[in-house]
Amino acid sequence: MSDLRLRDDLVAAMGAGVHAPLSDADFDGLARRILEHQWARNRVFARFCAARGVRPGSWSSWRDLPPVPARAFRERGLVSRGPAEAVFRTSGTTSGTTSGEHRVPDLSLYHASLLPNFEAHLLPDGARLDMISLIPSPLEVPDSSLSHMIGVVADRLVRDARYFVGREGRIDERGLGAALRAAEAEGEPMLVVGTAFAFVHLLDALARDGTRFRLPAGSRAMETGGFKGRTRTVPRDELYAAIQTRLGIPPGRIVNEYGMTELLSQFYEPVLTGGARLHRPPPWVRTRVLDPATLEELPPGREGLLCHFDLANLGSVCCLLTEDMGVEPPEAEGGGFRVLGRNPGAEPRGCSLAMDDLMTAIRGGGR
Amino acid sequence: MTTFPAWWLPPGAPGTGAPETSAAPEPGGGAHALPDPADAPPGFSTAPVSDALRLHFPTPDPAFAGRLCDHLIEAGAHLRERRTDEVVASLGRAGARFLDPADPVRGAALELLPAAAGLSPAMAREVVDGMARDWTADRLGRLVRAQFPDPGVLDGFRPGAGGGRVRAFGHRLVVQLGAGNVAGVAVGGVARALLTRAPVLLKPGLHDAVLPVLYARALAECDPGLAAALAVVYWPGGAGEVEAEVLAHAGLVVVYGGGEAVEATRARLPPTTPLVAYSHRVGVALVGREALAGERAGQTAMDAARAVAVFDQRGCVSPHLFWVEEGGALTPAEWAGRLASAMAAVERRLPAGPALPEVAARTHQLRGTWEMKRAAGGGARVFRPDGVEWTVVHDPDPAFLPSCLGRFAWVKPVPGLERVPGLLAGVRPFLQTAALCGAGARAPSLAERLGRAGVSRVTSLRRMAWPPAWWHHDGGDPLRALVRWVDWEAD
Repeated sequence: MSDLRLRDDLVAAMGAGVHAPLSDADFDGLARRILEHQWARNRVFARFCAARGVRPGSWSSWRDLPPVPARAFRERGLVSRGPAEAVFRTSGTTSGTTSGEHRVPDLSLYHASLLPNFEAHLLPDGARLDMISLIPSPLEVPDSSLSHMIGVVADRLVRDARYFVGREGRIDERGLGAALRAAEAEGEPMLVVGTAFAFVHLLDALARDGTRFRLPAGSRAMETGGFKGRTRTVPRDELYAAIQTRLGIPPGRIVNEYGMTELLSQFYEPVLTGGARLHRPPPWVRTRVLDPATLEELPPGREGLLCHFDLANLGSVCCLLTEDMGVEPPEAEGGGFRVLGRNPGAEPRGCSLAMDDLMTAIRGGGR
Repeated sequence: MTTFPAWWLPPGAPGTGAPETSAAPEPGGGAHALPDPADAPPGFSTAPVSDALRLHFPTPDPAFAGRLCDHLIEAGAHLRERRTDEVVASLGRAGARFLDPADPVRGAALELLPAAAGLSPAMAREVVDGMARDWTADRLGRLVRAQFPDPGVLDGFRPGAGGGRVRAFGHRLVVQLGAGNVAGVAVGGVARALLTRAPVLLKPGLHDAVLPVLYARALAECDPGLAAALAVVYWPGGAGEVEAEVLAHAGLVVVYGGGEAVEATRARLPPTTPLVAYSHRVGVALVGREALAGERAGQTAMDAARAVAVFDQRGCVSPHLFWVEEGGALTPAEWAGRLASAMAAVERRLPAGPALPEVAARTHQLRGTWEMKRAAGGGARVFRPDGVEWTVVHDPDPAFLPSCLGRFAWVKPVPGLERVPGLLAGVRPFLQTAALCGAGARAPSLAERLGRAGVSRVTSLRRMAWPPAWWHHDGGDPLRALVRWVDWEAD
């Protein structure tokens, strides 16, 4: 019963929206109850915490909880186990590696987290738009958390949704062209969502044919995911400029989403409401930047590893250590962080084959 | 921040002005001749290596690179007049200067290498000592004799098999590209090419530019004629037009780098130009029962820890994983504890360099995951300090796993060492060194099976980090791969 009450309390906190601050004390109180819940259900996690001297009642703040690496989701039964309403997998398996698996016992919490956050950042004007998705539908890829999220958005936040990318990543160029032309002709603003990689493919195809669309004013785009493991990568400025040229959506109306299979909450840039290009955690997530060597929390302005504490992860683990480098700009005053990409020109420092080259490891950002 | 001139141009080459104005450069200093405006590179650029060091180099320019190649090819004609023994002696004199505590060349190397290669000063010293040992006349002479039973073939036609005569020529120009290798590797490559009497254009890797420039300056003082056939010029990877220009001039190309760099070079080469490619590789170790008893267990762990620590595990010779045989005086998990103690001891004497964020990130991922596995039961153990200087993980699953590097070693149990060759099947194309110890009388059959499994070098833990000058790097001939044979069949 208390578990249901905890779930309801979390749903209520998320339902208050991304603009309703959650005080440190309230956040801590919920985190404490979550830890007790997870402690009772996941003995592996309980022993992992105990080995670091952390037990329910022994800690003074959620900051004391040991972070669990995203990599642990690739080992069955460590972080999420038991019956699940959905099982999401990280993308891109190759021989010798296993994909990460996030078992979600209760989807209602996932939906409670994703809807207000998406709405606040992509539909802050309350618009109800038609959506063009370059992300496969959840019917095509039921184990993708990104497809699931877009499916929920399609059901709850938009008027009509059409999917133009299939399971294999192929774009239905003809259908998409017709949909874009119709939107242009009817003067209806559109919501276009896709991975950076899908946008690049679409823009390449449009450039090849010399086609340009001018989607009506009020249109907007959500772009997500980097280029990890892809052969073609494009700097972000260039990508956004091409989206403007080919689709008519200006950079100021393109929102980047940062999310991962291992986290049930997402991070968006509040650009549609005039905010800076920083990823803003919703109130039920606390993001820290940790020293890559010591995992000590770093002050704003210092670059380090991103570590998220997500209350929506009730069914797995809340405190997730990523491999992504990030920084919280001092001027952001706690309002967000920036994800730092790898330097593509970095030269290897030796001649030993590092793990990534040998096994195309499934990365935190892939989903 | 120190700025290091990551280039050395022979006297008379484009960019150095007339030969008579080309003063012998100061070892370790930056006293280069002023470029002749008419013949100079179009300008200079810099690239950061670390917070403390940046490289200064001629801005990549295809026309300049082409003139430089032409100059080297011309200079190479004089090399053919030189005899092998004098070339060995000169190269060895320059190399030995890196070992002489009183020599400013060694001083400059020890001062610059930590920032250049991201190593601690103690490890930089270890690397200079270990690498330069192979640059002496004694070792180079042994290399020549190991490769050519009759070294006279490098000086002229000699009787060959079947009654004819044979001669080994160096190529008209060796282009050596570094895009990922540990410090010191480039100098060895340059010395080998010069031994074949081929002129060399070296583009070193970002983290291995210091030693070859110092070597070139030292060589210019020991033997200006030899140094006249050598140019060292750094340029950042991806300078496509410059690389296309030098590759078009090359008689033979040697490339050190990851799969993409090697593939890109291969794709750009004219079909008739031979390529010697050293890709990134993986080392492993096998620890048998005989090495787990008594005092030997501790010594084995110490040798193992040093093998991991050298180059901060960035060498193709560095071990990722130790397969430890069950049934000995110590269990594999117990030996993992010994290895951890040894890693801590080595860290005190040869500290790790500054942690790289991407390596530290991956280290935490692996440590945390295996700590979770430990919590799940089943025998995983993680040994580590609070920082990321080193990590030893005992994992009961014997399957191969690569290390994230940064002195991270897996220890895995096997019921018998005979199992290991089968466990290597998935990484066959990437295998290089396997250290084998404690196998007793089984060593010959294990070496045979490791060779069949794709390993190109079987050695001991103690020798693992330091292959000799004459080793068959990645299974190829060190000198014979660089020469062009000419058969003279007289009636």
